[in-house]
Amino acid sequence: MSVEIRSLDPRVNRLGLHIHEPGAADTLPPHDHWGTYQVFHQKKRGDRHGAVGIVHAPSPELAMVYAKEQFGRRGETANLWVVDTRHVLALDYGDQDMFATTPEKSYRDPGGYKVNDKIDEYREKMSHELTP
Amino acid sequence: MNLPLNSVPIEETHLEPLRHLLTALADDHLILGHRHSEWTGLGPILEEDIAFSSIAQDQMGHALGFYTLLHEYFGTPDPDIHAFTRNEAAFSCCQLVEWPIGEYDFSLVRHLFFDLAAGLRMETLSHSSFKPLAQLATKIRGEVKYHMFHAKTMVGQLGNSSETVRSRLQTTINRQFGLALGMFESRPGEQILDDANIAPIEAKWRERWLEALHTILESAGLHLPDPDRTEPVYGGRKGYHTEFLQPLLTEMTEVFRLDPQAEW
Amino acid sequence: MYGGGYIPKEESRKTVSNDDPEMLATFEERVTRGEKVEPRDWMPAEYRRQLIRMIEQHAHSEIIGALPEGTWITRAPGFRRKLALMAKVQDEVGHAQLLYSAAETLGKSREAMTNDLINGKSKYSNVFNYPAKTWADVAVIGFLIDAAAIVNQVANSKGSYGPYCRALERICYEESFHLKQGHSVFVYLATGTPLQRSMLQDALNRWWKPIMHFFGPSDEMSEHTLTLMKWKVKMATNDDMRQQFLSLYVPKIQELGLTLPDAELRKDPESGKWLFGDPDWAEFFAVIRGNGPCNAERLAVRKAAEVNGAWVRQALRQADAQYVTPLA
Repeated sequence: MSVEIRSLDPRVNRLGLHIHEPGAADTLPPHDHWGTYQVFHQKKRGDRHGAVGIVHAPSPELAMVYAKEQFGRRGETANLWVVDTRHVLALDYGDQDMFATTPEKSYRDPGGYKVNDKIDEYREKMSHELTP
Repeated sequence: MNLPLNSVPIEETHLEPLRHLLTALADDHLILGHRHSEWTGLGPILEEDIAFSSIAQDQMGHALGFYTLLHEYFGTPDPDIHAFTRNEAAFSCCQLVEWPIGEYDFSLVRHLFFDLAAGLRMETLSHSSFKPLAQLATKIRGEVKYHMFHAKTMVGQLGNSSETVRSRLQTTINRQFGLALGMFESRPGEQILDDANIAPIEAKWRERWLEALHTILESAGLHLPDPDRTEPVYGGRKGYHTEFLQPLLTEMTEVFRLDPQAEW
Repeated sequence: MYGGGYIPKEESRKTVSNDDPEMLATFEERVTRGEKVEPRDWMPAEYRRQLIRMIEQHAHSEIIGALPEGTWITRAPGFRRKLALMAKVQDEVGHAQLLYSAAETLGKSREAMTNDLINGKSKYSNVFNYPAKTWADVAVIGFLIDAAAIVNQVANSKGSYGPYCRALERICYEESFHLKQGHSVFVYLATGTPLQRSMLQDALNRWWKPIMHFFGPSDEMSEHTLTLMKWKVKMATNDDMRQQFLSLYVPKIQELGLTLPDAELRKDPESGKWLFGDPDWAEFFAVIRGNGPCNAERLAVRKAAEVNGAWVRQALRQADAQYVTPLA
């Protein structure tokens, strides 16, 4: 037995809906909502593109159509990239230990080269030699 | 640079034809924007729902732009009053935009037909000798570019998907084609505006539309019905509408009419 | 946007943890020092499960939440209100998309979540099972329910799961537009004609009870609740969020001379806490179980949207393609 739905929403009434008992056909098959694309957004020329999220889409073109409105409908946008999620190789967070010692590599940093003490020491020495 | 209000004089003979053109454009965009907004929350997939809602909002904004021009240069009432208190006989929209949203193929095909025409119109009008219209058309042009990106991509990918879907789309195109040709019903005084480089006659737009549509449909595995063997559905520009328009207007104005003088 | 604090209790589960104690300790240290958990990090099975439930429920609340206000899109009075409502309801669909995406990173597909929604298995915020009877209901929902949602979302945005926090950042920003827009309609009606004002007062009277239910009943401070708080899945108690909401918004209602249908609602001058009459939790539970005024309609509409749109999705779908869990 199915009961017709009377809604306060005239759009819903135009759908002519009925309430039935749920059935086997009520499940969406796998990939019914397509695969995903990662979206990268650039606010202004000169900025880097940044990862902002995903869209579900069946093709790169539709991914771009959708990305514009899901991630560009407010504020400024200069540019967008969309990349099929399958084409993104992400490093595993479990491998973050590879980066553990990087902050200690002071030989790669400007701050790893302090010579002021050496200069001061030398000038001190020179001033003693000049003034016996 | 925005021109100051009412600084642009309009020749006597241009007044009525230009008012008619702007009203037709305003009414088309209002009614179609309203129809498109009916899909919000009910679309075939979330991403498509979001995109289509933006298109609806753009069109509502375009309508407001045209009503504002009418208010500023032609003395028509404030846009809210003008849009929300007229009955169907006073509307100049084409009949295409009045039809209910139907299933998604109906709305997609209508969106392709309409936005293709809108894009071509705005392209020409952005060079109109009536500067306020040229300014508005230039703004609208960029938004319609996105509408066409959406329409061409969706119709193209659906048309090239399966024979069943291709055939379904073709049937919808065939059935809607006469209504679409009705967008180009000739306007009173249109030759005067054409001579003044304000806006071309409808027949010119129609020709360019057919050419562009033919190319788009071919690449989507679809074909253009024969315009010479299709009866255009005219009457909308003269205030003759389908049975769908008045119920739409009654619904659209339900809250506003509780008190049109109130601030909502 | 509409994630209330209430997550329905499940049938009592034996939560025997098979989690590696060393991994668990590392995980908990990470959370305690404020570091975020990212999609492919090791996480306790229960953490993953509760997060999926919570984010999924929040996503369902958004897409269903689009329906009560969606009722008035075709009838919004005037261009400004029409455009604003179209944009607002669009945002709700957009928030659903962002939240489903965050939940997908935990391994549940959007299809599975949608199935659970339309088959009545997953819950969504109760408040959307009530009807939006008049235009003034749009004002009450847009102002007060969005306000309640913001309290919840701001709390959750400081949680431990990276993708959920990032989704909430964008959502909270858009919510500030919703609140302003809702408050604007609210104020125009409250300060307008006698007809407008009485329409608003009537809507307020009808919605106050569902609003008081929004954050759910007081939390049972069980071991389970405490664990979820330690893991920064649950970020604040239902009572705390409700108090915050009342403090911020009851004065804004009262400053317009509007009344609320609870004679006992008042701020206790000594404790600073808001006191209120019994919110009728029996009704709350009845509605959660499916017996609210609009439950059947909400799910039927959602299901119809999926069913009617199936041909579009299927036409473009590559059935044999192998997809991967998204990054977000």
